[in-house]
Amino acid sequence: MRWFCVIAIAVSSFALAEDLLPEQHRSSGQDAVYGQLLFSLHSGDYQKSLGLNQILQKRQGKKSTSLLQIQQATAMLGLGMSQQAKKQYKKLLRSKTNKDLSNATRAQAWFYLAKHFYDKGMWKTALQAIHQINVKDINPRLKDEFHFIAATLELFQGKATLADKHILAISTQSMWSAYAFLNLAVSYTERDVHTSKVEAVFEKAKLLTKYTAHPESLVDKINLMAGQFFFATGRGRSAIKHLKEVSLEGSFTSKALLTYGWALTEQWQYHDALQPWYMLKTNHSPLNQDVQETLIAIPHLLEKLNAKVMALGAFDYASEQYDLIYTQLEASALRLNTGEFIEPLLAQQVPDKWGAFSAIDLSLPDHPDRIYLKDVMSKSYFQGELKNLRDLHVMRSQLKSGIEQLSAFDQLQNTRQDEYLKIKNDKRINLTSRKLLKLNKRYKSLQNKISKAFNNPNGVGLASEYEKSQLARFNELKSDFNRLDGHSHYLQRLRRVEGVLKWSLSQRYYERKKEVSKNLAILDGKIKKTQNQLKAAKLAFRFSPKSFRGFDKKVTRLRNKYKSQLTRLDVVYQKQREKVGGIVKLDIKERQKLVMDYQLQARLAAARLFDETSNKHRVAAGTEFRQ
Amino acid sequence: MKAIRTSITVMLCLLSLLAPKITLAAAQADLDASIETLKSEVVQLNQELFELEEQLLYPATTEFAVFVSMEAVDDFAVASIKLTLDTEDITSYLYTAAQVEALRRGGIQKIFIGNLKPGLHKLSAQILGKDSDGRSLKRTVVADFGKARASKYLEIKISNNEKQNRPDFAIVEWK
Repeated sequence: MRWFCVIAIAVSSFALAEDLLPEQHRSSGQDAVYGQLLFSLHSGDYQKSLGLNQILQKRQGKKSTSLLQIQQATAMLGLGMSQQAKKQYKKLLRSKTNKDLSNATRAQAWFYLAKHFYDKGMWKTALQAIHQINVKDINPRLKDEFHFIAATLELFQGKATLADKHILAISTQSMWSAYAFLNLAVSYTERDVHTSKVEAVFEKAKLLTKYTAHPESLVDKINLMAGQFFFATGRGRSAIKHLKEVSLEGSFTSKALLTYGWALTEQWQYHDALQPWYMLKTNHSPLNQDVQETLIAIPHLLEKLNAKVMALGAFDYASEQYDLIYTQLEASALRLNTGEFIEPLLAQQVPDKWGAFSAIDLSLPDHPDRIYLKDVMSKSYFQGELKNLRDLHVMRSQLKSGIEQLSAFDQLQNTRQDEYLKIKNDKRINLTSRKLLKLNKRYKSLQNKISKAFNNPNGVGLASEYEKSQLARFNELKSDFNRLDGHSHYLQRLRRVEGVLKWSLSQRYYERKKEVSKNLAILDGKIKKTQNQLKAAKLAFRFSPKSFRGFDKKVTRLRNKYKSQLTRLDVVYQKQREKVGGIVKLDIKERQKLVMDYQLQARLAAARLFDETSNKHRVAAGTEFRQ
Repeated sequence: MKAIRTSITVMLCLLSLLAPKITLAAAQADLDASIETLKSEVVQLNQELFELEEQLLYPATTEFAVFVSMEAVDDFAVASIKLTLDTEDITSYLYTAAQVEALRRGGIQKIFIGNLKPGLHKLSAQILGKDSDGRSLKRTVVADFGKARASKYLEIKISNNEKQNRPDFAIVEWK
């Protein structure tokens, strides 16, 4: 049964990040919320999907469709809310009158529900769900996986004939066939089937591993399982053959080396047996339970080889090591109480990554409990509980960041309100209006002046009073010019004077005209600018942003909700932490107990050997062993 | 009578032995249930916060959003989309296999949300992807659009051109 669990865990890793939903497509063209719900659901963002689902269900009220409810249940499964999801799924799927669900959809929903229970180790419930599926209705893409799960569950129930049917239905080129044959082999080992048959099935499983994602690792696993089986049934040679094939750098190395050593010992090959055990002792941490067993196995073997003094040294060494291991385990337990054990692990989890399909990041490079933690994580029950704790941790940081976000919203509102009030209380419109009025007045009077001054193109308008009188005099004198024929020199002088005066006047006229048009242009620009300012100020006044309004209450209400939720979550978090801690503590105690047993055996053996050996030999051999 | 008394005593003893286990199991089930309730409530709260954020940060008068959809296109897998609004690059997105599948199955992705002032604008989307034979495909679609004082939604639509057996790309305005 233990082996079944191992396979279940291995297989469940393939389910990660896979969506759980029956194939359903968006019906209406531009239903943005539903479209986004589908996108988040199928891409594994279950939290967003569930949130959008709640909006749609609220919007539709009692008319909410079954499909929406199934999608809700699916997202719940994805977030690890299996109890709620289970209720919903069952209620929906059992109702045969539900016309919204096609047979294919129903079959697929049952399949995913079964798969979920299978992954969780609730195999009886999983089998019930599997029995609801008609093979004809299942999506061809999922057929092999369906047969694999069905076969495994039937084997678990002891219904070998039914299991065989499912196994035969799996395509040989599917990765599931390798797992199915492995499960079959395991079931054979538990059913007293002839070893030749078991061997054949193990070999077949090995052949089929090439279609899996990690064939090397699976081959190692099959070899280890076969080796352990043959060793347990007293077939050392067959065991050795399989164990020899396990890679030396895989995750099954330590177990394979340990069993390999025992298998060789059983075959009286004591010298050869020492080699894998020394390898195991040298290359792996003493916290590894296989190494702990090796520590006592080595002197046991040395004693069998009649190297009693060396065996005594090895027993003493093992005893010291057990002391150290015991202390290390105690330190782990202490770190568990102070929070140094779990908290660093939780602190490094990816924010917003939570739910049943999001794996826990176990890479703690400098943490003293890293090896131990990885070891204890192989237990699926602990994995589930730790995932729950991680989810609570992520939710807690989400709530905290939500509260911070709400404070930022407060600030944003205040800024917007200030801006609004500033615009409303602004005197700019009045000031600009007045300024514009003045400018316009100035412009008008200037225009009048200019028209007066420049109306006369000969520049008379710009002449001074004296010059004007002179010009008038010239006009008066014009009639007298004719009479001055005899005095041409006088006439010429007079005309020269008139010419000089007019020339000077025209010069001044052009310069002044240039200057005036320049000033006029500047004034015109100012007026236009002021007009634009006035327009902008009026527009701003009209459309001043009131977007801060109405959010006050919402923000406050939401903040209160967040705070109370955080308080509740903290309580649950502490309880869950205690639960996880309890599991670890129990595990540590069991490990310590085992270490104590080993130590007792080592000490007893050492005492016995002490009596059997002389002091001189002991000193020499002890130093040699330690070296 | 004595026999009844004895059996009751035995029953009580058994119950007292079982009681801590039952209480422990019930407490654990309670804890699991409260974790699930918390999860559900937190999801709801976060959704409320998300809605509030959208309402507050992107008011209806200036809101501008771009969506991506891909309908019945089996021969094309989008790899990335880069959006340029007027002359500014506003976002770029890389797709995972699961997200491509989600689009294929009717999902709509809100690729961008922001604020935009009224007036005439130009959105350009550069789409990179691969066809079923693994050949890279790069297309740029451009749309000129006007923005009034109301929300504006555009959709980058990837659809299947059955006649030419290739994907079609377009920017569609939501009315």
